[in-house]
Amino acid sequence: MIKQLSVFVENEVGSLAGVTAVLKENKINLKAAASFDTPEFGIMRIVVDQPEEAKAVLIQEGFVVKISEVIGVELVDQPGDLDRVLHIIADAGLCVNYIYSFVLRENNAPVMIFHVNQLKMAEEVLKNNNVKVVNQ
Amino acid sequence: MIWNETKECMSRDEIVTLQGARLRKMVDRVYHNVEFYRKKMQQMGIEPGDIRGIEDLSKLPYTTKDDLRDNYPFGLFAVPESEVVRIHASSGTTGKATVVGYTRRDIEIWQECVARVLAMANVGKNDKIQVSYGYGLFTGGLGVHYGAENLGATVVPMSTGNSKKQITMMQDFGVTAIACTPSYLLHIAETLEEANALDKIKLRAAICGAEPWTDNMRREIERKLNIKAYDIYGLSEIMGPGVASDCDYHCGLHVFEDHFVPEIINPETLQPVEAGETGELVFTTVTKEALPLIRYRTKDLTSITYDKCECGRTLARISRFKGRSDDMLIIRGVNVFPSQIEAALLEIGETSPHYLMIVDRINNLDNLEVWVEVEERFFSDEIKQLEGLTKKIAHVLQNAIGLAVKVKLVEPKTIERSEGKAKRVIDKRKLV
Repeated sequence: MIKQLSVFVENEVGSLAGVTAVLKENKINLKAAASFDTPEFGIMRIVVDQPEEAKAVLIQEGFVVKISEVIGVELVDQPGDLDRVLHIIADAGLCVNYIYSFVLRENNAPVMIFHVNQLKMAEEVLKNNNVKVVNQ
Repeated sequence: MIWNETKECMSRDEIVTLQGARLRKMVDRVYHNVEFYRKKMQQMGIEPGDIRGIEDLSKLPYTTKDDLRDNYPFGLFAVPESEVVRIHASSGTTGKATVVGYTRRDIEIWQECVARVLAMANVGKNDKIQVSYGYGLFTGGLGVHYGAENLGATVVPMSTGNSKKQITMMQDFGVTAIACTPSYLLHIAETLEEANALDKIKLRAAICGAEPWTDNMRREIERKLNIKAYDIYGLSEIMGPGVASDCDYHCGLHVFEDHFVPEIINPETLQPVEAGETGELVFTTVTKEALPLIRYRTKDLTSITYDKCECGRTLARISRFKGRSDDMLIIRGVNVFPSQIEAALLEIGETSPHYLMIVDRINNLDNLEVWVEVEERFFSDEIKQLEGLTKKIAHVLQNAIGLAVKVKLVEPKTIERSEGKAKRVIDKRKLV
């Protein structure tokens, strides 16, 4: 499992930059980032190299932060691979809450973040179906 | 037009004599029938016999909204409950309503006072008056309703809401006068404008109150609708609408002093201020039977003049209100205290989060937005849960104050703190 940070942000100019600035100052490396917005507020979800440290410094700067677990899945960069994984989850009767992708780096396989209603079971199912699940 | 010239145009001597006689009787009644006042007077070492005239009023104790709350619901009533023919209630400071009661005689006096108000606005028996104040526990609707019937006018009891229907009735019935909050009247004016119906109405007078408004707003109403607009003041604790109102000269609101004796005090020292100075308005209800109140602190800031008005009335006049000595807000005619918001938020979490109330007037209607700082204990990673939280807070707040509230979740420390104490209210309406 991967530890993900969720940060509450207002839907305003510079609110995401406010979060990344704190990470930069504390030399915390972003692995993945996604933002979800509503007309009034948003949630910025991030995966970093030092989740606990990141949470501490963000809280110190006045942010509301929650750590939760998500599943990281290594995909093959070819048509239909995400489809394959999503079907494995759906066939197990599990519900995906959201997905987003890791920052891609050269020569590395793409990694996708999955948040599913029953995380442990989802991880089992994926592993049993030979899907490569990665850690922090 | 003066409805009751005998009472509205007395000489100062006559008024003071009448008030004195009524005060003596009232204090005697209250002392023997209301334990709260008897105890208070005993503690202060005064007896009914010490009150000989209106000049002795300052010897008597004050009454506050808290006293009404502490004696909820009927503890301050001075008559057996069988004598009470009606109950009204308004919101209190911490969720508990302020309850008031009326005997048949109280209702008659209320009708008389409202008839005086309407006559002052040149409304008479040939008029059709649309009452667009809320009917129900709020005193506005029923108060004006029975006063208008007493006057002999034709009453159209519309209550609030449904502006399209309001303007249809107004046109179809040939309504000539309307009673509602000034902001609602501006909203009706816009509805008429949109329907191209401004020249299809016979409206000529409006009696507006239940919320603070400015002279500029009055002129805007008068210009938009080509009518005359008048200010009516009242509060349920004293009676309801019809405690005071203004005439064609718009130089202060005439207080019906034969029933309600006004004083202006310094809200800090609680001493009467010098003549003409601004302070907190205090009323003693010298004729009320069910709920007579001695020196009730309205928390409304104003000044008073006893000069005769050009309209011929000799009644004391209070100036337009200059604010409040407490933190009460009047939003769409509803009394709202920040403490109610705080108490409601407390219901949701263990402790109250930081919040800010932003009151604005949008399209002439008051709008209340409440910012709530998100805290870790109620922050969820999921948008739908946060949206659910927003809805839940809005729902709880609406139940607490009886007004629709727009809730906005904001980041921690968004709301400015000064000297450790957060600012709770931003009122953008600029009404005073």
